[in-house]
Amino acid sequence: MASPSTSSLSFKAPSIQSTRTSQVLRKPLSFQPISFGRFQSSKNLRLQISCAAKPETVQKVSDIVREQLALSADTALTAESKFSALGADSLDTVEIVMALEEKFNISVEEADAQNITTIQEAADLIEDLAQKKPAA
Amino acid sequence: MVDKGQVIRLCRSLLRAGRQLPDYNIREYAKRRTFDGFRMNKNLTDHSKVEKAYAEGKKQLEVVERVVKVYLAYPPKTKNIMELKLH
Repeated sequence: MASPSTSSLSFKAPSIQSTRTSQVLRKPLSFQPISFGRFQSSKNLRLQISCAAKPETVQKVSDIVREQLALSADTALTAESKFSALGADSLDTVEIVMALEEKFNISVEEADAQNITTIQEAADLIEDLAQKKPAA
Repeated sequence: MVDKGQVIRLCRSLLRAGRQLPDYNIREYAKRRTFDGFRMNKNLTDHSKVEKAYAEGKKQLEVVERVVKVYLAYPPKTKNIMELKLH
């Protein structure tokens, strides 16, 4: 029987050739050959989607950052904007993280707070914590 | 030797402690005062001055925690108007 733990199986059949093989099984020719080659790529796609934060979260974070750092309306804020590039020192970063904690009703740990340098990272952390909270 | 990480940690603990205060005015004052205090001493380079400021910050942290306990024992009966969402 085909075991679910292998990611791709190839059955030796006279008419079908498979290039992705990690295991070659000798099966009676009455079995239909199945290729699990696409399983891996869809798993990777799924991982990618769960890491990115929603655009609304990024927008809310940008609004808070803009307010805390008193930026003018024409300074462009992208998800990759670094706080230090926007003129924020470590105290400003603490203020931003506190404002985010209040707005999203989350609690950021010391270690996580040190690692936030861009808007995208803040949004990702918020989504992460918001997901974990209902489970607790 | 007080390093930057310790200072930031002290700032966060002061802010977190101040957040528990039930009175709106005192709570906002605690937040304002921590930021003002840390910003005022932001550019200190002399080690002894940094140590002194850090020790003072620790003392204030104890004060805030004590005040929180007192205020939680006798919380204000009504919400401050600034806390009400009136849109």
